[in-house]
Order: sequence, then structure tokens, then C-alpha cells
Amino acid sequence: MDEPNTDLIQGTLDMLILKALSLEPMHGFGIARRIEQVSRGVFKVNPGSLLTAFQRLERVGWLDSEWRQTDKSRRAKFYSLTRSGRKQLEVETTNWNRRASAIARLLKAEG
Amino acid sequence: MSLWRQFTRGLRVLGNRKAADQETADEVSHYLEEATAALIARGLPPDEASRAARLELGGTTAVREQVRGYGWENRVDILLADLRYAARSLAGNPGFTGVSVLTLALGIGASTAIFSVVDAVLLRALPYPNPGKIVRVWEQAPDGHRMNLADPNFDDFRTRSDTFADLAIYADWLSSVSGGSEPVRVNIAEVSSGFFEALGVDPVRGRGFAAEEQRLHGAPAAIVSYGYWQRYLGGATDLSRFHLRLEAAVYPVIGVMPEGFDFPAGVAAWIPREFDPILSRTAHNWRCLGRVRDGVTVAQARANLSAIARRIRNQYGKKVDLSDAAVVPLADTLVGDVRTALLTLLAAVGLLLLVACANVAGLLLARTSARRKELAVRAALGAGRGRLIQQFLAESFWLSLAGGTLGILIAAWAVRLLPAILPANLPRQEGVAVNTPVLLFALAAIVAVAVSLGLFAAWRAATADLQEALMAGSRSYSGTGASQRLRGFLTIGEIATTLVILAGAGLLGRSFLRLISTSPGFNPQNLITMEFSLPAPQWHMEESTTVRQIHLVDDILTRLRAIPGAGTVGFAGAFPVAAGDDLADGTFLILNGQRPPATGDEFERMAQNPSQAGHASYCLAGEAYFRTMGIPLVRGRMFGEQDDRNSPHVAVISESLARQRWPQQDPIGQVIEFGNMDGNLKPLTIVGIAGDVRARGLDFPPSPIIYVDYRQRGLNANASPTILMRSAGPAGEIVTAARGIFHDLAPDVPVKFSTFADEMGGWLADRRFLLLLVGLFAAAALGLAAVGIYGVVAFSVTRRTQEIGIRMALGAQRSAVLRLIVGEGARLAALGVAVGIAASFAITRLLSSLLFGVSATDPITFAGVAVLLCLVALLASYIPARRAMRLDPSAALRYE
Repeated sequence: MDEPNTDLIQGTLDMLILKALSLEPMHGFGIARRIEQVSRGVFKVNPGSLLTAFQRLERVGWLDSEWRQTDKSRRAKFYSLTRSGRKQLEVETTNWNRRASAIARLLKAEG
Repeated sequence: MSLWRQFTRGLRVLGNRKAADQETADEVSHYLEEATAALIARGLPPDEASRAARLELGGTTAVREQVRGYGWENRVDILLADLRYAARSLAGNPGFTGVSVLTLALGIGASTAIFSVVDAVLLRALPYPNPGKIVRVWEQAPDGHRMNLADPNFDDFRTRSDTFADLAIYADWLSSVSGGSEPVRVNIAEVSSGFFEALGVDPVRGRGFAAEEQRLHGAPAAIVSYGYWQRYLGGATDLSRFHLRLEAAVYPVIGVMPEGFDFPAGVAAWIPREFDPILSRTAHNWRCLGRVRDGVTVAQARANLSAIARRIRNQYGKKVDLSDAAVVPLADTLVGDVRTALLTLLAAVGLLLLVACANVAGLLLARTSARRKELAVRAALGAGRGRLIQQFLAESFWLSLAGGTLGILIAAWAVRLLPAILPANLPRQEGVAVNTPVLLFALAAIVAVAVSLGLFAAWRAATADLQEALMAGSRSYSGTGASQRLRGFLTIGEIATTLVILAGAGLLGRSFLRLISTSPGFNPQNLITMEFSLPAPQWHMEESTTVRQIHLVDDILTRLRAIPGAGTVGFAGAFPVAAGDDLADGTFLILNGQRPPATGDEFERMAQNPSQAGHASYCLAGEAYFRTMGIPLVRGRMFGEQDDRNSPHVAVISESLARQRWPQQDPIGQVIEFGNMDGNLKPLTIVGIAGDVRARGLDFPPSPIIYVDYRQRGLNANASPTILMRSAGPAGEIVTAARGIFHDLAPDVPVKFSTFADEMGGWLADRRFLLLLVGLFAAAALGLAAVGIYGVVAFSVTRRTQEIGIRMALGAQRSAVLRLIVGEGARLAALGVAVGIAASFAITRLLSSLLFGVSATDPITFAGVAVLLCLVALLASYIPARRAMRLDPSAALRYE
């Protein structure tokens, strides 16, 4: 947590949630941990924003939720991708890749 | 899809907010547990892990609130909370709430009630299919005067036009009808083919007219109204046994029109009548009705008929008097001149609503001032401007909803009372009801009031300086100077608006006074009228029939005069005071020694010369008629015993005719020819001049009349005989006795008894109604304005208590304090009156057509209402001023 400033880039949280869920349904903390781990701690997710994002994505129809038993036999809310959520992930991934490579090219040319 | 999801999920949350909150709380606490567990797994001791997890989460409540704040349902939640808060806050201030709600209820209730009348009379579509296509058609003279149609012109209109699906003529008149359960005098309409098609209504029972009935001199047939069928034919299913006798002919009943079909208004039966080619092109006997073809506009139809009218003009020249045609939607013609009166009422009530709103706005302003501290605290705690505005809107929403609901109840109650005061001649008034459009209007008024009041209050609150308000400390009760100024402006506006309504009411009132003090030219008191019709009036009657009829009338008159208590009894050929135009009018010839015309054609040729023609109403009367009515003989002599059927026929003319037609000459001794009115070409010698009579209403100029003696001319087709009896005795007993006499002498003659006062009451009914309502609205507005002035001045006294205390401590006289405070009210009143008079000058012009004998800017009326308003303003400010005067200086100085 002594990392330099690693706020999420505006608008990427949705994509990261969708990506995290693309493998299997998970509960809130699971998703937060997944994002943190996979990004090797570069991105830290604010729990308030995360839970609000779930509400939003669920309303838009990209996520479904369900209360289930966890492996520790506790009740937790599990989120999963819907079909349109999966499609959205593809769209956002493509967009992101296009933009990221464009920026990379720009930076390289500058250097 | 996703919108639907938004909506249903939101609804689910709204429906069970507790469960939703619990779910969020569970999720947050689960998150916290997992986070703690993860930290423990990394090797932190449990209590430190729990602390770290909490730190990272940033407080469970905050997260829960953040999640909870998402979604549209949250907005609704806040709105509901604001509404709840507003309701509590209003309930905590019952004085303010009560006055505001009652004021708005008055405004909205009165507006809604008037709108219900406007809706029924002006706005609602006629009860015919596709009513916008139905039009009335007239011939139009070169001077723009509209005339009914003459047979041959109508035939040209019908056969040459291509813009009408149907074009028909009709006329209705009062007639005796027997054949039902009893003989009655009812309206009968003669209608040409295409009449029912133009209206688009078929008989509900039986059939319409067939081809052999719809030709000249075709088979007789009658269609009756639903009301007549129910009342006089017992609602029988078998119509074939009924035959109506009217005008000495027998008409089998073939059909019944549906309930509610009432055109022309009040008609009990329709009989066919077709184009008669022998009639003249200037005999304007028929009203005309048409249905414009689909895809054709009224303007196109008019252009079409105008062209035909011009062709007729070109072809026949001076033999016709039309040069154009007028085509007007039926709905517009039915409403006629009522429109101005109703729009005046709507405007007056709209102004009243405006005054009511200004009053409530003033109250809100005072309340906002008193609440500045509360608002400042809320703003300081982070309530955004939007949230504050919402709060004000919530309050004004409750106020106008409560006021509006109460107003609708008032309107529903008023609409029940309305039939008692609506003038009888107001068309389509049976449709007045609180129905969907009326409720929608009320709803629109409620919303408009709520939004404007809420935004007004919010605007005032938002402009207040937060810091200053917080620092104002314990003096939070007093308003700022700015808001007091604004209340002053509101009051000025209120006074000005009230003055406009008052000026309107004053002008209408003065017109009404002028009218009732206008002499009708006769004495209408204690007159009993008996309208009847003799069987078989025909254009050319046998001499023996004529003589028999004259004798019958004389016999009836003799018997009537013998009734105990009967005064003079007179006879006239028409009801002398007509709601419409019972007196026939036409062109007469001045013969001056010329030979009288032998035929109708010759008459018309002679009438082309303006120097020997004149225009007058034709009235059949006896000598006793003038005595009974109290019409004075100005000069010459009356009809006398010497004037019998064989002596030269004589005429008495009215003063106005003498003035108009013989301004330089003596009309007495002139010989005229007026045979076109009664088919008798015997010339008339003018022997006397009688006083003028306003026969068509007090607000119409007296019509020029030529009176002829019924004993010389006989009763004729134009006559609708009426006997008038002056009697101070009890009308009921006299009517019973008279009924018996008619029954003895003419058992099959139906008679309509009435009193003159009743008949004339109808004349002024519409004016009385308009005056009554505008007067009521003016009084209500005046009351509201008084409350408004009182509010401002009383508030100012409270605000200036300390100042007044200082003044008194420094030696100001009590009377000076009184002047100070009353002066404040007087200043408002003076400004308001000035603005109001300027506005009234512009607005009352629109009333011109409703005024009689008073100009729209009548200085007396304007001065009167200005003085009245100023007096009320002084009175309203005197009450708080007296309180200020009696303040104890030492208490006032300490007043905070």
C-alpha cells in the first residue's frame, strides 16, 4: 500500500469487473481481490464504488446476482455474467486494446 | 429491455426498502468479513486485521449509504421524504395552511365551475358524427347582411355546387299539433331532403323520409322527437296507428329521432318540404344547413357558393338581393354572441385565480422569511439548491393539491346549482357537468399553481444570503427589506387585478341599471298573456272563414272581459315582446295616389323605387291592445268602430317609423300598401301615430311598426294570435277562468298562458347571470385583496415594532403612528389602483359588445371602483395600524 497513486482510470472499473467474472461467478470481495491480485496490487478497488458498480451493472443487465453458500458455508451474494455482459466485455476489451496500442504508439514515437 | 429492468428493480426496492437495505448491509458485512479473513490469512492478528479491513472499507455505514444512493428509486425516496416533511411542516402551521388552502380552493373551484360551462357550451363537439363538417349557409347582401335562403337560390346552390355532400333547407315554427294523447302547441320543422343526412343522424325507430314523401306535394309523413314520442305517443312501438294533425293536414308518424337529437332546438316533429320553383328569389324563408364533402374545407365550400351567388346576381341583376354567400360552421352559429359573455366570465375567474395565487404567494413569502434560519441551517448542512427547491415544491404541491381537491368539490357543488341561475337562452347548457375534460382542467390548474408557487418561494429562498441568515440570530422572525418590498409588489399586482375585475363588474352593473330603467314603451306590470293558434290559417282564406275567426276572437275577448278582476283585454296578431322575432317585417309601398299593385310581381317592381318604399314590422292588433299594453297614442286617432271590413282599411304607425320614413312630412293621411305581409292588397291609410315599443328587447332600438286592425284584415298565415289581459287580481284564478272560456268557445285550440313579467324576465336573464357571476368574482377578489393588504401591513407592523417604540419614546403622537402605518397601506392601494386603471382601460374595451348605454371607459364607474378599492385598503390597514398605535413603548423597545 505504499505504491504510487493507483486510482482506477475512470470507466475501467466496469470492464475489470466483467473481466474478473468472465471465468466464474464470484462475490464482491472475491472480485476485489481478483482485480488486485491479477494487477499485482497496482489497482486497488474502493469497496463503495465496487458495490455501487454491481448495482449499476445489474440494472443494465450485464450481471446477475444470487445469494449462495460460500465454501466456508456463509451466505454471500454471488455475481455472474449474463450473455449481454459477456458481449459487452468483448466490446470493451476491443476498444481498450485499440486505445492502449494507439497510446503506446504515440508514446514510442515521442520517445 | 434495460429500461424495463431499471424500472422493475427500482420498483422492487421501493416496494420493500427494508429488505433491500438489509441485503446491502449483508453484502457489506460479508465483504468486511472476507477482507478480515484475508488479512488474517496473511498473518495479522484478528483484532488488527478487523481494524485494517474497516479502515480500508471506510466505514460500513458510508458504503451502505453509497450503494443505497444508487438508482432512480432513491430519488423517489427523497421526494417522498420531502413530501412527508412538507406535510408535517404545513400541519404544524394550521393558520397559514388553512388560509392558503381556502384561498386556492376558492380560485380553483370558481375557475373549474366556469370552465365546465365554457367546455359544454363552447368547446365540446356537437353530438353529430364529424361535426366540423356541418355548416350553416346564408345568402349575403352587398352590405354584408346575412339572409335566409329563397327557394330558387337554394336550388341553384344545391344543384350547381360540388363541395357539399348534403345541402338542405329547413324552417320551424310554433304550431298546434293533435293526434297524440292531447293537443299541444309545439315547434314543428319543415325540412328538405338531405337534412338528416347533413346532420348524420337516422331515426332510432321507424324510418326516415322516403322518395315519394320528399317531393313537392308528396305523400305526407312526420318524424317525431324522442321527447314527443315518450310524452304524447306513450313510447309505443307500433307507430302506424299515430297520425298527427297540424295545419289542417294529417301526417302519419313514420319515425322517431334518437334521444338528445334536438335540431332545430325544441322541435317536436319534422315534416318534409321540397323546393317550390314558383317562389320568388327574394322570399328569404328558409334556413340552410349543409355537410361539406370529405376533403373540402369550409373556406373552399364558401368560395364555391360565393361563385354561384355571383352568377345568380349577374343573371338576375336587381331582381335578387344576394351578391355573395356565407358559410359558417354550425358550432359557431349555435354559440353566437354567448361567446363574448362566457369568455368574459372565464377571464374574470382567471383574474380571480391570479389574485388568489398572489395572496398565497404573499403568505409563502412571509413564511419563507420566518424560516430563513431553518433554511440556512439546511443549506449549511449540505442541502443543494435542487433539494431546497424540491422542498418548496413539495409544500406548494400539498397546498395546491388540497386547495384543488376542495376546489373541485366546490365546483361540483356549484355545477349542481348552476341550472338555477344559467340564463334559459344559453345554448347547450344541459351538457354542463364535471366530467373528464373539466377534471383535467382542474388538474392542470393545480399543477400550474403548485409549480409557480413552489418556484417562486424557492427563488426567494435561494436569493437569501446564507451567512447573513445564520448570523441574524434571534431576529430570525423579521423578514428582510427585500422580501417586504416584494410582498408590496405582489399586493400592488393584486389590487390592480382586483380593480380590473371590479371595473368590469361595475360597467356590467351600470349597463344593467341603464337597461332596467329603459322604458320598453309599455307597462309590463300585471299582464297575463294567452298565446293560441286557430286551426287552418291559410294564405288565401274564404271570406266566411275570416269573418268566423274574427267573431271567435271577439267572443273570446267579450267573455274574458267579464271575468271578475279582469281589466282591459286586448288582442294582437303576435306576441308583442319577442324573444326572437315574432313580428314579421317587410317592405311597404307609399302609394301617394298611385293605383295599388294588382299582383305580387307588380308590387315587387314598384318596391324597386326607393322613394316610394319603406321597411317596417307588421303587427295585427285591436284598439284595446294599445290600452291594455299602455302604448300611448301620440297623434291622430286609434282604430274605431267605424273601421269595419268594408270601410277603407286604416293603419297606425309607430313614432320611430314616422321619424324615419316621413321626417319632413306628416305621415297621417298617407296611403300605403303592405299586402305582401298578409296577402290582402287593399291599401292602408295611416290614421294615427303610437308610441314606440322596444319589442325585441330593451337593448335593441325600438322597431318601426305598422299596426293594422284585425277586424279589417282578419287573422292570416303570419298571425300567432295572443290575447293580453291587464289585471291586478290573482293570476292563477284568472287563468283558470280563461282556460274555461277557451274550452267552451274553442275546445280544440291549445293556449299557452304566461305573465308578461315572466316573458320579460328572460330578456335580462343572460345579463343578470353575467353580472351576478362577475360581481361575485369581483367581491371575492376584493376580499382577497383586503386580506393581502392586511397581511403586508400587519407584517410590517411586527417588523417595525422596535422602530415604532423608539418613535413613541421620542414623543411621536399615536395619531402619527396611525398615519405612518395606514399610509403604508394607502401607498400600496394608490399604486395598485393606478396600475389597475391603466390595465382596465385596455381590457374593458373587450367588453364593449356587452355594454349598454355606458362607454367601456366610463369615468364614473372607474372612479367608483377606485374609491371603493381605496376604502377597503384603508380599512384593511387600519386594523394593524390600530394595534401599532396601542403598542406600549417600553415593551416595543425591548421587542426582539
